Amino acid sequence: MRIGKWTRPGGEVGPAELVLRLTAIELLLRPMGPWFIKPFVLLLAGLALVAPQVLRAPVTWLALALLVAGRLIADWPLPDNHIYLLAYWCLAAGLALQAPDIRSPLALTARLLIGFAFFFAVSWKALLSPDYLDGRFFRVTLLTDERFADAVLLFGGLSQKQLAENRQYLEPLPEGAELLHPPELVEPAAFQALVLLSTWGTLLIEAAIAVLFLLKVRGALATARHALLLLFCVATYAFAPVAGFGWLLLVMGLAQCREQEIWLRRSYVTVYFLVLIYSEVPWAAVALRGLGPLG
Amino acid sequence: MDTRVSSPEPPYTVRLSTALALAPPALLVLVACVQIFLTRNTGLTPWKGGGFGMFATNDGNQFRYVRLFVDAPDRSEELEIAPSLEDLAARAQALPGAAQLERVARAVVARERRKGRPVETVRVEVWWIDFARGTLKATDRLLRQHQFHAYRQMDSAGR
Repeated sequence: MRIGKWTRPGGEVGPAELVLRLTAIELLLRPMGPWFIKPFVLLLAGLALVAPQVLRAPVTWLALALLVAGRLIADWPLPDNHIYLLAYWCLAAGLALQAPDIRSPLALTARLLIGFAFFFAVSWKALLSPDYLDGRFFRVTLLTDERFADAVLLFGGLSQKQLAENRQYLEPLPEGAELLHPPELVEPAAFQALVLLSTWGTLLIEAAIAVLFLLKVRGALATARHALLLLFCVATYAFAPVAGFGWLLLVMGLAQCREQEIWLRRSYVTVYFLVLIYSEVPWAAVALRGLGPLG
Repeated sequence: MDTRVSSPEPPYTVRLSTALALAPPALLVLVACVQIFLTRNTGLTPWKGGGFGMFATNDGNQFRYVRLFVDAPDRSEELEIAPSLEDLAARAQALPGAAQLERVARAVVARERRKGRPVETVRVEVWWIDFARGTLKATDRLLRQHQFHAYRQMDSAGR
Protein backbone atom coordinates (compact mmCIF):
# COMPACT_ATOMS: atom_id res chain seq x y z
CA MET A 1 0.00 0.00 0.00
CA ARG A 2 1.54 3.30 -1.06
CA ILE A 3 2.36 5.84 1.61
CA GLY A 4 0.94 8.53 -0.66
CA LYS A 5 -2.53 7.09 -0.15
CA TRP A 6 -2.33 8.20 3.48
CA THR A 7 -0.39 11.45 3.14
CA ARG A 8 -2.15 12.98 0.16
CA PRO A 9 -5.85 13.45 -0.48
CA GLY A 10 -7.42 11.24 -3.10
CA GLY A 11 -8.89 14.21 -4.95
CA GLU A 12 -9.54 17.92 -4.90
CA VAL A 13 -10.24 19.03 -1.32
CA GLY A 14 -11.94 22.28 -2.35
CA PRO A 15 -14.57 23.65 0.08
CA ALA A 16 -13.92 20.75 2.48
CA GLU A 17 -10.73 22.56 3.44
CA LEU A 18 -12.75 25.13 5.41
CA VAL A 19 -14.55 22.29 7.21
CA LEU A 20 -11.23 20.75 8.19
CA ARG A 21 -9.81 24.09 9.35
CA LEU A 22 -12.81 24.80 11.57
CA THR A 23 -12.50 21.31 13.05
CA ALA A 24 -8.83 21.97 13.78
CA ILE A 25 -9.76 25.28 15.43
CA GLU A 26 -12.22 23.46 17.68
CA LEU A 27 -9.52 20.99 18.72
CA LEU A 28 -7.30 23.90 19.70
CA LEU A 29 -10.03 25.83 21.51
CA ARG A 30 -11.04 22.84 23.61
CA PRO A 31 -7.87 20.88 24.36
CA MET A 32 -8.65 17.52 25.85
CA GLY A 33 -7.23 14.37 27.31
CA PRO A 34 -4.49 13.16 29.64
CA TRP A 35 -0.87 14.24 29.21
CA PHE A 36 -0.07 11.45 26.74
CA ILE A 37 -2.87 12.52 24.39
CA LYS A 38 -3.45 16.27 24.69
CA PRO A 39 -0.08 17.51 23.37
CA PHE A 40 -0.36 15.33 20.27
CA VAL A 41 -3.90 16.52 19.55
CA LEU A 42 -2.76 20.13 19.89
CA LEU A 43 0.30 19.49 17.75
CA LEU A 44 -1.64 17.87 14.92
CA ALA A 45 -4.42 20.46 15.04
CA GLY A 46 -1.91 23.31 15.07
CA LEU A 47 0.10 21.84 12.20
CA ALA A 48 -3.10 21.28 10.26
CA LEU A 49 -3.85 24.99 10.49
CA VAL A 50 -0.45 26.18 9.34
CA ALA A 51 0.53 23.44 6.88
CA PRO A 52 -1.96 22.63 4.09
CA GLN A 53 -0.25 19.28 3.44
CA VAL A 54 -0.98 18.21 7.01
CA LEU A 55 -4.55 19.55 6.84
CA ARG A 56 -5.32 17.54 3.70
CA ALA A 57 -3.54 14.31 4.68
CA PRO A 58 -5.90 11.44 5.55
CA VAL A 59 -3.40 10.17 8.13
CA THR A 60 -3.72 13.44 10.10
CA TRP A 61 -7.41 12.88 10.71
CA LEU A 62 -7.09 9.15 11.25
CA ALA A 63 -4.42 9.88 13.87
CA LEU A 64 -6.69 12.47 15.48
CA ALA A 65 -9.53 9.95 15.53
CA LEU A 66 -7.25 7.46 17.29
CA LEU A 67 -6.09 10.07 19.80
CA VAL A 68 -9.64 11.14 20.62
CA ALA A 69 -10.63 7.47 20.92
CA GLY A 70 -7.66 7.04 23.25
CA ARG A 71 -8.97 9.86 25.37
CA LEU A 72 -12.40 8.19 25.51
CA ILE A 73 -10.82 4.96 26.72
CA ALA A 74 -8.45 6.63 29.20
CA ASP A 75 -11.18 8.76 30.77
CA TRP A 76 -14.06 6.28 30.44
CA PRO A 77 -16.89 6.80 31.42
CA LEU A 78 -16.43 10.52 32.07
CA PRO A 79 -16.12 12.11 28.58
CA ASP A 80 -19.11 14.04 27.30
CA ASN A 81 -21.06 12.80 24.31
CA HIS A 82 -19.64 15.32 21.87
CA ILE A 83 -16.19 13.78 22.34
CA TYR A 84 -17.57 10.56 20.82
CA LEU A 85 -19.00 12.61 17.96
CA LEU A 86 -15.63 14.28 17.50
CA ALA A 87 -13.93 10.87 17.22
CA TYR A 88 -16.47 9.75 14.60
CA TRP A 89 -16.03 13.02 12.70
CA CYS A 90 -12.22 12.84 12.61
CA LEU A 91 -12.55 9.24 11.38
CA ALA A 92 -15.00 10.41 8.72
CA ALA A 93 -12.57 13.09 7.55
CA GLY A 94 -9.70 10.62 7.36
CA LEU A 95 -11.74 8.14 5.34
CA ALA A 96 -13.28 10.75 3.02
CA LEU A 97 -9.92 12.35 2.22
CA GLN A 98 -8.82 9.12 0.57
CA ALA A 99 -11.67 9.21 -1.94
CA PRO A 100 -11.34 10.82 -5.38
CA ASP A 101 -14.54 12.77 -4.64
CA ILE A 102 -14.06 14.01 -1.10
CA ARG A 103 -17.18 16.13 -0.71
CA SER A 104 -19.81 13.44 -1.28
CA PRO A 105 -18.73 10.88 1.34
CA LEU A 106 -17.97 13.64 3.84
CA ALA A 107 -21.42 15.16 3.31
CA LEU A 108 -23.11 11.75 3.62
CA THR A 109 -21.30 10.95 6.87
CA ALA A 110 -22.00 14.40 8.27
CA ARG A 111 -25.70 14.11 7.47
CA LEU A 112 -26.02 10.70 9.10
CA LEU A 113 -23.93 11.59 12.16
CA ILE A 114 -26.20 14.58 12.83
CA GLY A 115 -29.31 12.53 12.09
CA PHE A 116 -28.41 9.65 14.40
CA ALA A 117 -27.07 11.87 17.20
CA PHE A 118 -30.40 13.70 17.27
CA PHE A 119 -32.31 10.45 16.87
CA PHE A 120 -30.78 9.10 20.07
CA ALA A 121 -31.18 12.44 21.85
CA VAL A 122 -34.90 12.41 21.00
CA SER A 123 -35.19 8.75 21.96
CA TRP A 124 -33.79 9.51 25.37
CA LYS A 125 -36.07 12.48 25.94
CA ALA A 126 -39.28 11.00 24.57
CA LEU A 127 -38.99 7.31 25.39
CA LEU A 128 -36.20 6.36 27.77
CA SER A 129 -36.11 9.16 30.33
CA PRO A 130 -38.60 8.97 33.21
CA ASP A 131 -38.44 12.69 33.99
CA TYR A 132 -38.27 14.65 30.76
CA LEU A 133 -41.76 14.79 29.27
CA ASP A 134 -43.40 15.73 32.59
CA GLY A 135 -41.15 18.78 32.78
CA ARG A 136 -39.20 17.68 35.82
CA PHE A 137 -35.86 17.85 34.03
CA PHE A 138 -36.11 21.51 33.10
CA ARG A 139 -37.88 22.49 36.33
CA VAL A 140 -34.95 21.12 38.33
CA THR A 141 -32.19 22.13 35.93
CA LEU A 142 -33.33 25.72 35.54
CA LEU A 143 -33.56 26.10 39.31
CA THR A 144 -30.35 24.38 40.32
CA ASP A 145 -27.83 24.80 37.50
CA GLU A 146 -25.86 28.00 38.15
CA ARG A 147 -25.14 28.34 34.43
CA PHE A 148 -28.85 29.00 33.78
CA ALA A 149 -29.36 31.27 36.78
CA ASP A 150 -29.04 34.55 34.90
CA ALA A 151 -31.39 33.37 32.17
CA VAL A 152 -33.92 32.20 34.77
CA LEU A 153 -33.80 35.57 36.55
CA LEU A 154 -34.13 37.34 33.20
CA PHE A 155 -36.97 35.29 31.71
CA GLY A 156 -38.39 33.17 34.53
CA GLY A 157 -39.96 35.86 36.68
CA LEU A 158 -38.04 34.79 39.79
CA SER A 159 -36.10 37.03 42.13
CA GLN A 160 -32.70 36.11 43.57
CA LYS A 161 -34.37 35.39 46.93
CA GLN A 162 -36.98 33.13 45.35
CA LEU A 163 -34.33 31.26 43.40
CA ALA A 164 -32.28 30.70 46.57
CA GLU A 165 -35.36 29.47 48.46
CA ASN A 166 -36.28 27.14 45.60
CA ARG A 167 -32.78 25.68 45.70
CA GLN A 168 -33.15 25.11 49.42
CA TYR A 169 -36.47 23.37 48.79
CA LEU A 170 -34.80 21.04 46.27
CA GLU A 171 -32.17 19.84 48.72
CA PRO A 172 -33.01 16.43 50.15
CA LEU A 173 -33.38 16.11 53.90
CA PRO A 174 -31.91 13.24 55.94
CA GLU A 175 -34.36 10.34 56.16
CA GLY A 176 -37.19 11.05 58.54
CA ALA A 177 -36.23 14.69 59.03
CA GLU A 178 -38.63 17.56 58.57
CA LEU A 179 -38.04 21.29 58.70
CA LEU A 180 -39.99 23.37 61.19
CA HIS A 181 -40.63 25.99 58.50
CA PRO A 182 -40.18 24.22 55.19
CA PRO A 183 -39.62 26.50 52.19
CA GLU A 184 -42.21 26.53 49.46
CA LEU A 185 -41.49 26.00 45.82
CA VAL A 186 -42.23 29.18 43.88
CA GLU A 187 -42.85 28.77 40.16
CA PRO A 188 -44.48 31.86 38.65
CA ALA A 189 -46.28 31.72 35.32
CA ALA A 190 -43.23 33.02 33.46
CA PHE A 191 -41.10 30.22 34.89
CA GLN A 192 -43.69 27.58 34.02
CA ALA A 193 -43.86 28.95 30.49
CA LEU A 194 -40.07 28.82 30.28
CA VAL A 195 -40.14 25.18 31.39
CA LEU A 196 -42.86 24.30 28.86
CA LEU A 197 -41.05 26.07 26.04
CA SER A 198 -37.72 24.50 26.92
CA THR A 199 -39.16 20.99 27.28
CA TRP A 200 -41.29 20.81 24.16
CA GLY A 201 -39.39 23.29 22.05
CA THR A 202 -36.19 21.32 22.47
CA LEU A 203 -37.90 18.01 21.81
CA LEU A 204 -39.71 19.18 18.69
CA ILE A 205 -36.75 20.89 17.08
CA GLU A 206 -34.48 17.91 17.81
CA ALA A 207 -37.06 15.52 16.36
CA ALA A 208 -37.40 17.65 13.24
CA ILE A 209 -33.63 17.75 12.80
CA ALA A 210 -33.37 13.98 13.28
CA VAL A 211 -36.01 13.29 10.64
CA LEU A 212 -34.74 15.80 8.09
CA PHE A 213 -31.12 14.69 8.38
CA LEU A 214 -31.82 10.97 8.30
CA LEU A 215 -33.98 11.25 5.18
CA LYS A 216 -32.65 12.16 1.76
CA VAL A 217 -34.50 15.40 1.06
CA ARG A 218 -34.26 18.02 -1.63
CA GLY A 219 -35.42 21.54 -2.35
CA ALA A 220 -37.29 23.36 0.40
CA LEU A 221 -36.85 20.50 2.88
CA ALA A 222 -33.09 20.51 2.35
CA THR A 223 -33.05 24.24 3.07
CA ALA A 224 -35.31 23.74 6.07
CA ARG A 225 -32.90 21.15 7.41
CA HIS A 226 -30.05 23.65 7.40
CA ALA A 227 -32.24 26.42 8.82
CA LEU A 228 -33.35 24.24 11.71
CA LEU A 229 -29.81 23.19 12.56
CA LEU A 230 -28.64 26.80 12.51
CA LEU A 231 -31.61 27.87 14.63
CA PHE A 232 -30.93 25.06 17.09
CA CYS A 233 -27.31 26.13 17.49
CA VAL A 234 -28.15 29.84 17.81
CA ALA A 235 -30.76 29.17 20.49
CA THR A 236 -29.21 26.28 22.39
CA TYR A 237 -25.61 27.36 22.75
CA ALA A 238 -26.62 30.74 24.11
CA PHE A 239 -27.54 28.78 27.24
CA ALA A 240 -25.98 25.32 27.12
CA PRO A 241 -22.30 25.58 27.99
CA VAL A 242 -21.15 22.98 25.48
CA ALA A 243 -19.72 25.08 22.69
CA GLY A 244 -17.69 22.11 21.45
CA PHE A 245 -20.87 20.29 20.55
CA GLY A 246 -22.23 23.30 18.73
CA TRP A 247 -19.05 23.76 16.71
CA LEU A 248 -19.11 20.12 15.68
CA LEU A 249 -22.72 20.30 14.53
CA LEU A 250 -21.98 23.46 12.55
CA VAL A 251 -18.90 21.99 10.92
CA MET A 252 -20.90 18.91 9.91
CA GLY A 253 -23.68 21.13 8.57
CA LEU A 254 -21.14 23.11 6.57
CA ALA A 255 -19.73 19.89 5.14
CA GLN A 256 -23.08 19.29 3.45
CA CYS A 257 -23.13 22.63 1.63
CA ARG A 258 -22.24 22.82 -2.01
CA GLU A 259 -19.63 25.33 -3.14
CA GLN A 260 -22.26 27.50 -4.81
CA GLU A 261 -24.38 27.73 -1.64
CA ILE A 262 -22.40 30.78 -0.58
CA TRP A 263 -24.91 32.30 1.85
CA LEU A 264 -25.52 29.00 3.58
CA ARG A 265 -21.80 28.48 4.03
CA ARG A 266 -21.41 31.99 5.36
CA SER A 267 -24.28 31.39 7.79
CA TYR A 268 -22.59 28.31 9.21
CA VAL A 269 -19.31 30.14 9.65
CA THR A 270 -21.07 33.11 11.25
CA VAL A 271 -22.92 30.94 13.75
CA TYR A 272 -19.68 29.05 14.48
CA PHE A 273 -18.13 32.31 15.66
CA LEU A 274 -21.35 33.37 17.37
CA VAL A 275 -21.14 30.20 19.49
CA LEU A 276 -17.55 31.15 20.27
CA ILE A 277 -18.73 34.53 21.53
CA TYR A 278 -21.53 32.91 23.51
CA SER A 279 -18.98 30.74 25.26
CA GLU A 280 -16.90 33.73 26.31
CA VAL A 281 -19.45 36.47 27.02
CA PRO A 282 -21.85 36.05 29.97
CA TRP A 283 -24.55 37.77 27.95
CA ALA A 284 -27.40 36.89 30.30
CA ALA A 285 -25.55 38.35 33.30
CA VAL A 286 -24.73 41.48 31.29
CA ALA A 287 -28.36 41.85 30.23
CA LEU A 288 -29.49 41.31 33.80
CA ARG A 289 -27.20 44.05 35.08
CA GLY A 290 -28.41 46.31 32.30
CA LEU A 291 -31.98 45.91 33.52
CA GLY A 292 -30.90 47.25 36.93
CA PRO A 293 -33.66 47.15 39.61
CA LEU A 294 -35.94 45.27 37.19
CA GLY A 295 -33.49 42.31 37.06
CA MET B 1 16.19 -4.57 -14.87
CA ASP B 2 13.58 -4.57 -12.15
CA THR B 3 11.23 -7.46 -12.90
CA ARG B 4 9.04 -7.00 -9.85
CA VAL B 5 5.40 -6.44 -10.72
CA SER B 6 3.42 -4.26 -8.33
CA SER B 7 -0.21 -5.25 -8.01
CA PRO B 8 -2.54 -2.38 -8.84
CA GLU B 9 -4.47 -0.75 -6.01
CA PRO B 10 -8.17 -1.64 -6.10
CA PRO B 11 -10.14 1.14 -7.73
CA TYR B 12 -11.70 3.54 -5.27
CA THR B 13 -15.25 2.88 -6.39
CA VAL B 14 -18.31 4.83 -5.43
CA ARG B 15 -19.47 1.71 -3.59
CA LEU B 16 -16.30 1.59 -1.49
CA SER B 17 -16.49 5.31 -0.85
CA THR B 18 -20.10 5.02 0.31
CA ALA B 19 -19.34 2.00 2.51
CA LEU B 20 -16.51 3.87 4.22
CA ALA B 21 -18.76 6.91 4.65
CA LEU B 22 -21.29 4.75 6.49
CA ALA B 23 -18.72 3.41 8.94
CA PRO B 24 -18.65 6.34 11.40
CA PRO B 25 -22.47 6.56 11.66
CA ALA B 26 -22.62 2.78 12.11
CA LEU B 27 -20.12 3.12 14.94
CA LEU B 28 -22.26 5.87 16.51
CA VAL B 29 -25.35 3.64 16.43
CA LEU B 30 -23.46 0.69 17.89
CA VAL B 31 -21.96 2.72 20.75
CA ALA B 32 -25.29 4.40 21.49
CA CYS B 33 -27.06 1.03 21.68
CA VAL B 34 -24.37 -0.29 24.01
CA GLN B 35 -24.81 2.83 26.14
CA ILE B 36 -28.53 2.21 26.49
CA PHE B 37 -27.78 -1.36 27.55
CA LEU B 38 -25.25 -0.15 30.13
CA THR B 39 -27.66 2.42 31.59
CA ARG B 40 -30.20 -0.33 32.14
CA ASN B 41 -27.82 -2.95 33.48
CA THR B 42 -24.94 -1.23 35.24
CA GLY B 43 -26.42 2.09 36.33
CA LEU B 44 -24.39 4.15 33.85
CA THR B 45 -25.73 7.68 33.88
CA PRO B 46 -27.59 8.53 30.64
CA TRP B 47 -25.46 11.69 30.39
CA LYS B 48 -22.33 9.70 29.54
CA GLY B 49 -21.27 6.81 27.36
CA GLY B 50 -21.97 8.17 23.89
CA GLY B 51 -25.72 7.66 23.85
CA PHE B 52 -26.68 11.35 23.66
CA GLY B 53 -28.86 11.18 26.75
CA MET B 54 -27.53 14.46 28.16
CA PHE B 55 -30.13 17.11 28.96
CA ALA B 56 -32.79 14.38 28.97
CA THR B 57 -32.91 13.43 32.63
CA ASN B 58 -31.93 14.60 36.10
CA ASP B 59 -30.02 11.33 36.58
CA GLY B 60 -26.63 12.83 35.88
CA ASN B 61 -23.47 13.27 37.91
CA GLN B 62 -24.82 16.51 39.35
CA PHE B 63 -27.39 14.53 41.35
CA ARG B 64 -25.34 11.46 42.21
CA TYR B 65 -22.79 11.14 44.96
CA VAL B 66 -20.48 8.57 46.49
CA ARG B 67 -20.22 7.68 50.17
CA LEU B 68 -17.34 5.71 51.71
CA PHE B 69 -17.50 3.76 54.96
CA VAL B 70 -14.64 2.03 56.73
CA ASP B 71 -14.89 -0.60 59.46
CA ALA B 72 -12.18 -2.09 61.67
CA PRO B 73 -11.86 -3.09 65.34
CA ASP B 74 -12.60 0.11 67.31
CA ARG B 75 -13.40 1.94 64.11
CA SER B 76 -16.51 2.55 62.08
CA GLU B 77 -16.77 5.80 60.19
CA GLU B 78 -17.69 7.54 56.99
CA LEU B 79 -14.76 9.03 55.10
CA GLU B 80 -14.59 12.17 53.06
CA ILE B 81 -13.44 11.61 49.52
CA ALA B 82 -9.77 12.55 49.46
CA PRO B 83 -8.37 14.37 46.42
CA SER B 84 -6.42 11.24 45.47
CA LEU B 85 -9.70 9.31 45.26
CA GLU B 86 -11.75 11.93 43.43
CA ASP B 87 -11.12 10.61 39.93
CA LEU B 88 -12.01 7.03 40.83
CA ALA B 89 -15.04 8.22 42.77
CA ALA B 90 -16.22 10.31 39.81
CA ARG B 91 -15.96 7.29 37.51
CA ALA B 92 -17.86 5.10 39.99
CA GLN B 93 -20.46 7.81 40.36
CA ALA B 94 -21.05 7.84 36.60
CA LEU B 95 -20.87 4.07 36.22
CA PRO B 96 -21.50 2.27 39.53
CA GLY B 97 -20.62 -1.18 38.24
CA ALA B 98 -19.05 -3.82 40.44
CA ALA B 99 -15.59 -3.35 38.94
CA GLN B 100 -15.68 0.42 39.36
CA LEU B 101 -16.87 0.22 42.97
CA GLU B 102 -14.25 -2.38 43.79
CA ARG B 103 -11.52 -0.12 42.38
CA VAL B 104 -12.64 2.65 44.71
CA ALA B 105 -12.71 0.26 47.65
CA ARG B 106 -9.21 -1.02 46.93
CA ALA B 107 -7.92 2.54 46.62
CA VAL B 108 -9.47 3.37 50.00
CA VAL B 109 -7.80 0.33 51.58
CA ALA B 110 -4.43 1.29 50.11
CA ARG B 111 -4.81 4.87 51.30
CA GLU B 112 -5.85 3.93 54.83
CA ARG B 113 -2.91 1.54 55.12
CA ARG B 114 -0.53 4.25 53.87
CA LYS B 115 -1.87 6.52 56.61
CA GLY B 116 -1.37 3.73 59.16
CA ARG B 117 -5.07 3.46 59.92
CA PRO B 118 -6.76 0.09 60.51
CA VAL B 119 -9.19 -1.10 57.85
CA GLU B 120 -11.10 -4.39 57.66
CA THR B 121 -13.98 -3.65 55.36
CA VAL B 122 -14.81 -0.82 53.02
CA ARG B 123 -18.32 -0.09 51.84
CA VAL B 124 -18.80 2.08 48.75
CA GLU B 125 -22.26 3.49 48.14
CA VAL B 126 -23.52 5.45 45.14
CA TRP B 127 -26.64 7.52 45.78
CA TRP B 128 -28.86 9.62 43.57
CA ILE B 129 -31.38 12.34 44.26
CA ASP B 130 -34.85 11.59 42.98
CA PHE B 131 -37.24 14.51 42.44
CA ALA B 132 -40.88 13.55 42.80
CA ARG B 133 -43.31 14.23 39.99
CA GLY B 134 -45.32 17.37 40.68
CA THR B 135 -43.93 18.48 44.02
CA LEU B 136 -40.24 17.98 43.10
CA LYS B 137 -39.70 16.74 46.64
CA ALA B 138 -36.13 15.49 46.75
CA THR B 139 -35.34 12.04 48.14
CA ASP B 140 -31.99 10.30 48.37
CA ARG B 141 -32.03 6.79 46.93
CA LEU B 142 -29.31 4.17 47.06
CA LEU B 143 -28.28 3.24 43.53
CA ARG B 144 -25.56 0.64 44.16
CA GLN B 145 -23.33 -0.47 46.99
CA HIS B 146 -20.31 -2.71 47.25
CA GLN B 147 -18.58 -4.18 50.29
CA PHE B 148 -14.90 -5.08 50.08
CA HIS B 149 -12.91 -7.06 52.65
CA ALA B 150 -9.42 -5.70 53.06
CA TYR B 151 -7.85 -9.14 53.61
CA ARG B 152 -8.32 -9.69 49.86
CA GLN B 153 -5.77 -6.98 49.15
CA MET B 154 -2.09 -7.40 50.07
CA ASP B 155 -0.37 -4.47 51.65
CA SER B 156 2.85 -2.93 50.33
CA ALA B 157 4.92 -5.51 52.26
CA GLY B 158 3.11 -8.30 50.47
CA ARG B 159 1.22 -9.39 53.54
